[in-house]
Amino acid sequence: MHCRRYRTLPQTRREWLRQSAHGFGAVALTTLMAEGALPAPSRGAGAMGPHHSARARSVIFLYMDGGPSQVDTFDPKPRLDREHGQPIRMKTPPTQFNNVGTVLRSPWRFRRWGQSGIPVSELFPHVARCVDDLALIRSMTAPFSEHTQANYFLHTGSGLQGRPSHGAWVGYGLGSENRDLPGFVVLNGGLIPPGGVDCFGSGFLPAAYQGSVFRSSESPVENLRPGPGQDRMRELVRRLDEEGLGRLGRQDALEAAISNYELAARMQTSIPALLELDGESRATKALYGLDHADPATRIYGRQCLLARRLVERGVRFVEVLCPRVDADRWDQHSDLKTGHENNARATDQPIAALLTDLKARGLLDTTLVVWAGEFGRTPMAQGSDGRDHNPYGFTIWLAGGGVRGGTIYGATDEYGYYAVENPVTVYDLHATMLHLLGIDHKRLTVRFGGRDMRLTDVHGEVIRSILA
Amino acid sequence: MGARRFVVGCWGIGWILQVWAGVCLAQDGDGRAFFEAKVRPLLIDRCQKCHGAEQAKSGLRLDSRAGMEAGGESGPAVVPGKPQESLLIEAVRQTGSLRMPPKERLSEAEIEVLERWVEQGAVWPGEVGEAGGRVASAGTLDEAELAERARHWSFRPIEPVEVPAVRDEQWPTNAIDRFLLAAMEAAGVRPAGPADRRTLIRRLTFDLIGLPPTVAEVEAFVNDGRPDAYERLVDRLLASPHYGERWGRHWLDLVRYAETAGHEFDYEIPLAWRYRDYVVRALNEDLPYDRFVREHLAGDLDPAPRRDQVTGRNESILGTGFLWLGEGVHSPVDLREEQVRRLDNQIDVVGKAFLGLTLACARCHDHKFDPIRQADYAALAGYFKSTRQQYAFLDRETAGRETLRSLRDELVEVAWEGWRSDWARAGGGTGAGGSAGDGVVVFEDFEGGTLEPWHASGEAFESPAEATVRVGADALVVVPAGVAHSARISERLSGVLRSPTFTIEQNYIQYRVAGRGGRIQLIIEGFEKIRDPLYGGLAIRVDHGDAMVTVVQDVRPWRGRRAYIELADGAVADFTGETTRLVGGDGFVGLDAVWFTNDAAAVGGGEGLPVRYPLEGLGGEGAALLSRFREAETALGEPTLGLAAVDGTGEDEHVLIRGNPRTPGPAVARRFLSVFDVREGDGADGWSARGRGEDSGVAGSRRWELAEAMMDVRHPLPARVVVNRLWQHHFGRGLVATPDDLGRMGEPPSHPELLDWLAAELIGSGWSLKSVHRRIVTSSAYRMASQGDPSADERDPGNRLWHRRELRRLEAEALRDALLAISGRLEAVLGGPSVPPHLTESMEGFGRPAVSGPLDGAGRRSLYINVRRNFLPPFWVVFDYPLPVTCMGRRHVSNVPAQALTLLNDPFVREQAERWARRARTEAGESAEATIEWMYQTAFARLPSAVERMAARAFLGEEPNEADWADLAHALVNVKEFLFIP
Repeated sequence: MHCRRYRTLPQTRREWLRQSAHGFGAVALTTLMAEGALPAPSRGAGAMGPHHSARARSVIFLYMDGGPSQVDTFDPKPRLDREHGQPIRMKTPPTQFNNVGTVLRSPWRFRRWGQSGIPVSELFPHVARCVDDLALIRSMTAPFSEHTQANYFLHTGSGLQGRPSHGAWVGYGLGSENRDLPGFVVLNGGLIPPGGVDCFGSGFLPAAYQGSVFRSSESPVENLRPGPGQDRMRELVRRLDEEGLGRLGRQDALEAAISNYELAARMQTSIPALLELDGESRATKALYGLDHADPATRIYGRQCLLARRLVERGVRFVEVLCPRVDADRWDQHSDLKTGHENNARATDQPIAALLTDLKARGLLDTTLVVWAGEFGRTPMAQGSDGRDHNPYGFTIWLAGGGVRGGTIYGATDEYGYYAVENPVTVYDLHATMLHLLGIDHKRLTVRFGGRDMRLTDVHGEVIRSILA
Repeated sequence: MGARRFVVGCWGIGWILQVWAGVCLAQDGDGRAFFEAKVRPLLIDRCQKCHGAEQAKSGLRLDSRAGMEAGGESGPAVVPGKPQESLLIEAVRQTGSLRMPPKERLSEAEIEVLERWVEQGAVWPGEVGEAGGRVASAGTLDEAELAERARHWSFRPIEPVEVPAVRDEQWPTNAIDRFLLAAMEAAGVRPAGPADRRTLIRRLTFDLIGLPPTVAEVEAFVNDGRPDAYERLVDRLLASPHYGERWGRHWLDLVRYAETAGHEFDYEIPLAWRYRDYVVRALNEDLPYDRFVREHLAGDLDPAPRRDQVTGRNESILGTGFLWLGEGVHSPVDLREEQVRRLDNQIDVVGKAFLGLTLACARCHDHKFDPIRQADYAALAGYFKSTRQQYAFLDRETAGRETLRSLRDELVEVAWEGWRSDWARAGGGTGAGGSAGDGVVVFEDFEGGTLEPWHASGEAFESPAEATVRVGADALVVVPAGVAHSARISERLSGVLRSPTFTIEQNYIQYRVAGRGGRIQLIIEGFEKIRDPLYGGLAIRVDHGDAMVTVVQDVRPWRGRRAYIELADGAVADFTGETTRLVGGDGFVGLDAVWFTNDAAAVGGGEGLPVRYPLEGLGGEGAALLSRFREAETALGEPTLGLAAVDGTGEDEHVLIRGNPRTPGPAVARRFLSVFDVREGDGADGWSARGRGEDSGVAGSRRWELAEAMMDVRHPLPARVVVNRLWQHHFGRGLVATPDDLGRMGEPPSHPELLDWLAAELIGSGWSLKSVHRRIVTSSAYRMASQGDPSADERDPGNRLWHRRELRRLEAEALRDALLAISGRLEAVLGGPSVPPHLTESMEGFGRPAVSGPLDGAGRRSLYINVRRNFLPPFWVVFDYPLPVTCMGRRHVSNVPAQALTLLNDPFVREQAERWARRARTEAGESAEATIEWMYQTAFARLPSAVERMAARAFLGEEPNEADWADLAHALVNVKEFLFIP
């Protein structure tokens, strides 16, 4: 429903405080909640609350920047081998670069893996071993064949700037399970996608829900590291603010802003602790490829390990961005072979490690892992050895958190160009992600511009066939 | 339906504690609201994908009542009143052989909704029994329903209101207070006492100019014994040039102001800042608001534009710049779709900013709640579709041009008296002609002796009626008649010549051109961001010199599209590089003819060689004239350009079925909202007033008429909307809490009579915003203390009645400006190009500027920091600076730890704290006591209390060094009173 009427009630946080806590307002309240003395209002009870029992508690979204090729990874097409070098024998739409070449066979061989026998190309030898945990969607579609719009769409359900990101919606819907860390964290491996950080924005939701982008550098978050003498300053501010409450009145906004300083201080400890990997075993580090010869693999391995640590700490939504490799992002308009191999080398082992590690720790059951680019690539060449953008049919996969592993859903045509069986939209993907988190995508709404907005607009169907 | 309460907390970088209310449906008399709220969304979501406008599986359409009754292959889908006999219900119950939807059964609740709806007679508002095959999603809003919706409060005329009587005659200062007090008295609530003068001057100064008062200003006001001391203060601040900066920034939120286009590469929108300065000047001059809005819509068409008194530049035209400040897509695959998106954004902004209406809701269907038809949307879209972007020439016609013209004539007379016979001997033409073979269409050859119907801007293009001689770099050159040429007078002049809009019907466009540094651009469906991939070929550089040659442009991918040609000698933007730049106006371009052809072979004959007379060796009088000519050229200076609208060919827009440009319905003639016609009883209706589509034949966009209609004083929305905005920025919340939506989905006004009284005041004062400001801030209500009477707090906990002053948090910009002001770093200069933003480590991605700006923004107010869509400064974002995507009349006021971290650790804050501490010690003298006092005066407009003095002294210790002082300063800007203004 997208046009319902509702009215906010004039209830303030202060009134809520008065009802639920005694004494010194917000600071005391947060302390109490942190100690578990009070039921934390955010635990499993967000703006809308869970609508049904959740299968997943967290999401790790592995964003494959640039659009990996479906016919070279998870969707083998023998017809490409047969017709290699010939003009494609089907009607094709205009492409982004309109430099259409002949049919291009995949440079990589496919092999069947696991009990499910799902074919995976030799680009992903590690992920292939986890194939029984994956639900492949081979009929993914996107409405844009251009990066920025497709990125906004994949992240926000709209091709334009300004809508809340999927992670922001999840936070708005469910709240966080951790008081000392942001609920939506973006691990920046080096590539901010086209469209910029607005892919992770909160749009018309309050700023509190926007993704916090952690850089892979010494100072992951701006202004986090305390300056010299900060404890003294903080203490002075606290005393003067107490005095101010007497002057200005104990108003909500004021008390909330004061309590903010306590929370900020906790973040200054919790984030460095999160990034400190000393406690991880040598075996774990090796599993993720932290000792890999390729620096891009090491960066991505660290990001995947951090993703696990974030999920362990109750962070709801973690998005992992790709590292820079010695080629472009997955956007191989030319030299498909080198580019895809470099991107695959950087991500394959860490992703497999993440799945394995989550499983070993019993976290995979409650963590939904999604692997997706903004679109796929054309079965015919761009120029001689590249592939152009293809939003009409490509592959993504989901794993863990209530997903039935070892499944294939949907199919593309014989060239792998168009989704022809059970086409899936980004709305469907979002509906499914929310569903697994216990949210009915049709009921997670916020009023903006005279409408009750949804992540899925007026669309979206849960892909029930891939649910466990 | 009872409201459900949920509590959300502790989220994101946020930890906001917020209470949300649930959903409650409006009471429903006749089933319309039930249909809109429950049934229509369900049908759209679950049925119409297969049974709607896009496809009608089994011949069935479920997007109109008629379609349902007509049914499909299995028979009628509904029998109104009889769910048991309705196939629709049988199908969704999945009890028989027909089971729908095929993939996922409806929930029980959803099925019950449909059953109840059928049972109650299958009410479909506005349905007039048309067949299922017609435009079902449009035109469902009939006259009766439109008139019914027009009864909504905000559409009603502004009637004179009576100022209510109150018991307490002492408290009110003006009528505003009487309206508020009457409501308070009715609720048994007493207003708070008056704020003290220190609080008052700090409050008023921030509200009116966005800066803190200086120590001297505070003391002067506190010690001003005159009875009208406060009124004098108000007058001083309203007259301050910083007033326009403060309120200009509020305005920029409404027009999604930014100086880059966002998207992948975040291209510059060159000269966007001139619009920003225009807004500041207009507000400072107290330009009547109705004129301000008219200029936004049609300042380029103003028959007597306002001109800057000093520079003589056209002010009015700059208002139209706001149309082009939206997000711009880089290399969209479908240009028409991109145009539709752009129009949508323009209409969204116009609707919300000026009218408080969500007009863009009616792009795909009639508005669900407000009296706005889909046809109204199309009617409005036509105005903007007929409007083009330009870099307008703002200067008055320069005397320089006439000087150059006569010098040229003299020079030619003296140096090359026999040019006509030389030229005749050489053939006397342009070498054009060519073969008028099959499928060759002469679009333009300028043989009619005029540039019309092309439209020239700037000073470069002269009539092509006669051959003239131009003064080239090294020769005099004949410019034949029948050539549109930008240097008949001088290469230094610049200008752009734009063709009428046409449909691309053939494969190639051929241009016979000459030029140096010139450009031809083909603007398709209004798309001007021309670059590769895909669009590189739409811009042609003309740089080969005086020879006339034919250039062939392949336009096969765009057959069927609407387009126009820009012949540019400067004054257009070039998107082919890393970032946008304006093309310079030196050089020239000449266009002899434009042909449309189906074959790529050039039709323009051979090369047309110029007839020249070399200037080298020119002596005597000729040389003297030439040097005078060159001096006059140098004296010309660069033209002043501004981003603006320019009229194109008049084109009506089509109703787009389901908003989709690939399914156009009928075109609708350009007009303002039909609801106002209905109210005035002339009975016009959007569907009978058919437009004429692409060749509407009505010259120009007619935006001036739109502006007149919109700002007609009988039309109540603009005045209500703007006074509500003023109120909101003074009181923290509007009388209507949803300032951009005064429609049915918005909040109703808390004090409707007061709103109308203010609106009438505005109109009565000749639309003077400053006079409304003055009314508001001189009220007793505005001057209340923020601490209310405890019993009043009890009775009015949400302060809905405004029984006390609401504490206000400074916006990002005001906070930053306040830091600069107290530290002494503020450069109080007005206007000009923006300062590049300081780039922090987290500002990364495509389009990141190569160079970072200074950490302190060169001390300029935040208003002057370059707004880059994809690179908004984190400092701003943390303090709720809105994304510039559409009209944002109300910002969030969030409370996130990143705010604390910013004020504690951001290097800019630290730098200003250090600066402030140094300044304090210089200005206040040596004594620590005096320094502390001075700091409190600058930061809080008051002296410290005894407790605060002691705390500060204890913090500093016996022998404070520079770092201790800086720490104290840094701590003080973290004290909440710095950020929250009582």
